[in-house]
Amino acid sequence: MVFNSLTFMVFFALVLALHAMPFKWTTKKINLLIASYLFYAAWNPPFIILLWISTIVDWYAAQKLVHAEKPAARRVWMLLSVVVNLGMLAYFKYGTFLLENFTVLMAGIGVNYQAPAFDIILPVGISFYTFATLSYTLDIYLRRAEPAKNFLDYALFVTFFPHLVAGPIMRPTELVPQFVEPRKASSQMLFFGLGLMTLGLFQKVVLADSFLAPAAEMIYDGKGIAGTLDAWIATLAFSGQIFCDFAGYSTTAIGAAMCLGFAMPDNFRFPYAAIGFSDFWRRWHITLSSWLRDYLYIPLGGNRHGEARTYLALMVTMLLGGLWHGASWTFVVWGGLHGFYLAAERILRSRFSGYRPGPFALFLFALLTYALINITWVFFRADSFGKAWMILSGMFGMNIGAAPILPTMHLTMVTLIVSGIVFAHWQMRQQTLESFIARVPAWLLSCTWAVMAFLIVIAQGDGNAFIYFQF
Amino acid sequence: MPSSTSNSDNEVARPGFVRLTASDRPGVAQPVPERDIPVRPWGSIILATFVMFVLLIAGWEWVWRDYGVTTSYRNSLGQWAAQRRRIDTGEGDKTVLIGSSRVLFGVQLPVWEKAAGERPIQLSLEGTSSIPVLEDLAEDPNFKGRLLIGVTPDLFFSGFAYRGDVIPYYHKQGPSQRSGHWISQHFFEPYFAFYDPDFALDTLVKRQAWPARPGVHSRRPVRKLMIQDVDRNSHMWRKVEVDPEYRALARSIWSERFAGPPPPMMDTPEKLHKLVDTQVSRAEAAVKKLRARGVRMVFIRMPSAGEYYAFEQKVFPRATTWDVLLKRTNTPGIHFEDHPELQGYESPEWSHLSASEANRFTAALMPIVQHEFKAQEKK
Repeated sequence: MVFNSLTFMVFFALVLALHAMPFKWTTKKINLLIASYLFYAAWNPPFIILLWISTIVDWYAAQKLVHAEKPAARRVWMLLSVVVNLGMLAYFKYGTFLLENFTVLMAGIGVNYQAPAFDIILPVGISFYTFATLSYTLDIYLRRAEPAKNFLDYALFVTFFPHLVAGPIMRPTELVPQFVEPRKASSQMLFFGLGLMTLGLFQKVVLADSFLAPAAEMIYDGKGIAGTLDAWIATLAFSGQIFCDFAGYSTTAIGAAMCLGFAMPDNFRFPYAAIGFSDFWRRWHITLSSWLRDYLYIPLGGNRHGEARTYLALMVTMLLGGLWHGASWTFVVWGGLHGFYLAAERILRSRFSGYRPGPFALFLFALLTYALINITWVFFRADSFGKAWMILSGMFGMNIGAAPILPTMHLTMVTLIVSGIVFAHWQMRQQTLESFIARVPAWLLSCTWAVMAFLIVIAQGDGNAFIYFQF
Repeated sequence: MPSSTSNSDNEVARPGFVRLTASDRPGVAQPVPERDIPVRPWGSIILATFVMFVLLIAGWEWVWRDYGVTTSYRNSLGQWAAQRRRIDTGEGDKTVLIGSSRVLFGVQLPVWEKAAGERPIQLSLEGTSSIPVLEDLAEDPNFKGRLLIGVTPDLFFSGFAYRGDVIPYYHKQGPSQRSGHWISQHFFEPYFAFYDPDFALDTLVKRQAWPARPGVHSRRPVRKLMIQDVDRNSHMWRKVEVDPEYRALARSIWSERFAGPPPPMMDTPEKLHKLVDTQVSRAEAAVKKLRARGVRMVFIRMPSAGEYYAFEQKVFPRATTWDVLLKRTNTPGIHFEDHPELQGYESPEWSHLSASEANRFTAALMPIVQHEFKAQEKK
């Protein structure tokens, strides 16, 4: 089920009530585990089997790994976990993509290969929970973590519903210890958690779905050729939409976990105030970027084997990071562009290592970073390279004579909302939401919270799925 | 205030609460995250928030009730899916109504039930050709009943499907969507008049008098015209009937559509002919499958009036559309122009019958429909 649904409201109220009952801690954990399975099964019940396979294989592999004495045996058990998880991901997420590319490749060498029908539904959140379970076996293999004391704690780590389908991608060391001792939210945690959930849903239902998505859809899903203004507004709208959608999900998830007494990590740190791309990746989808860094970039050599190897590791990590988002070459290009930006930044930083920009220059660098990130969003949002080129041509003024498409309302709302987001990020770039809230008068907090809740209700969202569910 | 999950000792060392994340700790085990709870009087804040929220919602409800809105069931995807599901859960031999909004407004289920002893399943969709639903039913072996197929010329023969997402939604609807629909239908829709897509925030913002952007021809969306019951029996919203200003607004929105240039897929006579032919072929194929299963079918052309009728006559004349459809599908049809008892009803905004007229119309329609179905049963 999605957070922005009536079903989730009822589900969450029941879970909160159940969690507040005077049951034993083990009973409460079993309740949370069952609730999490229900949360997942509410989409498509059969896919819960995949979740179980991933859970059991990694538990078993980790147990064997711990008790294996020879390095080769440890490696085999680690590889079993990797192969099973990535195999599931490859089959369900990339099966069609691989087959299509194979067919094209065959045609390229003159073989007329007819691919069999391969109509597979992507299980919700498979990319997220496979990464979470993989981190369990990998951390144990790398001797960074101890195995969970019991299967219940481990299964709950994999399945805990706030992070299950769209992150934040949690590491075992972040969550498993929280299941050891009884946890209950204080009234302060409960209230603040509900406030975070309201903020997250406001971002998703009001900003992303009601005002930003339609403008992006009119250009990216429409048939018209976009001129400069339309192409830029649609792309800016998408930059705001994907932030509000995904950061909204993460904020809601963090709030939901907090209401139950658990802590989840930050997944976003005001990314549109980033100065440079390494800064951006420390602020955007932090749990994925750090996962890729720890389990892909560093094992590939990181920056320990000279410049050439560093750039290679960087590019491979970003290309695969792009592919993680979706089975399409447009996502690979998106990742490749980010890899290129990161490499270029690395070169510039070493060449101008003595340069210390002033405040105005920093602001300009932040704007430049945001503008270049918008270029990458074109490939992320467009469903084909043809569409991406059309939008990019529009953005760079090459679609001369293109008829205007977006009405004034979309131009105005997107400009207002996206400017507001970028301004807020710039204001908040050195602080946290909590430190800001600590300084806001109580009456203003109440008014803002009530208005956000009111706008969520009158927006009457249709329970649209979050964008990252498809990844 | 630091929560049980915060590390209060470190707060001094981290001015501005800038806490570390995994991005600051490469290649190591990530510790249990820290979350700070700002020191605020949260009890008073949430109480004040709740009071303000309730007042805002009450005020919003009052605004719309004052505007003339009454509670109604939402014409949602879930609502349609719930009715469609009846065919697959033991009611496949029933009469099913498909078509666009004219069948929704014009065929009243209680009147039908009184005359025929059976309440039909209402699957008509506003702004949508009946062909996609016809094709869906043709593929469903559970359906073996009777079918009244509405033909609104500009929708049916163009294949336009404003609600085209409803059939894929029905086939993919998950348990949480079904329960969400149930909750909405039992706890929200019967009590809140504002809970209607026509009064959703984005719709209201869009509806404001924004200055026109030169070169953008944007059409105003159709306004609320309908009230719907729990089983999708629908009738015209009273405001359309009694408020001349609102009625004029509804008519002007239709006029806008007639005045604009034709869409690219039908901007030449050849393209239009091809489009009509494609739609008739789709209907022909679906009817053939349904007939093979013993389904009895009747097409119906509901009344229209004023500029809407004139537009239909001009772009989709009967001889090249309706007559062709009946001939190629070899299926009986009821055209309001052929039956004096189906003429002379009031359509306040030219396209749909008013609530009271819909009752009279259904009563007059029933004997004709029953005659057509019986004639097919004898064969």
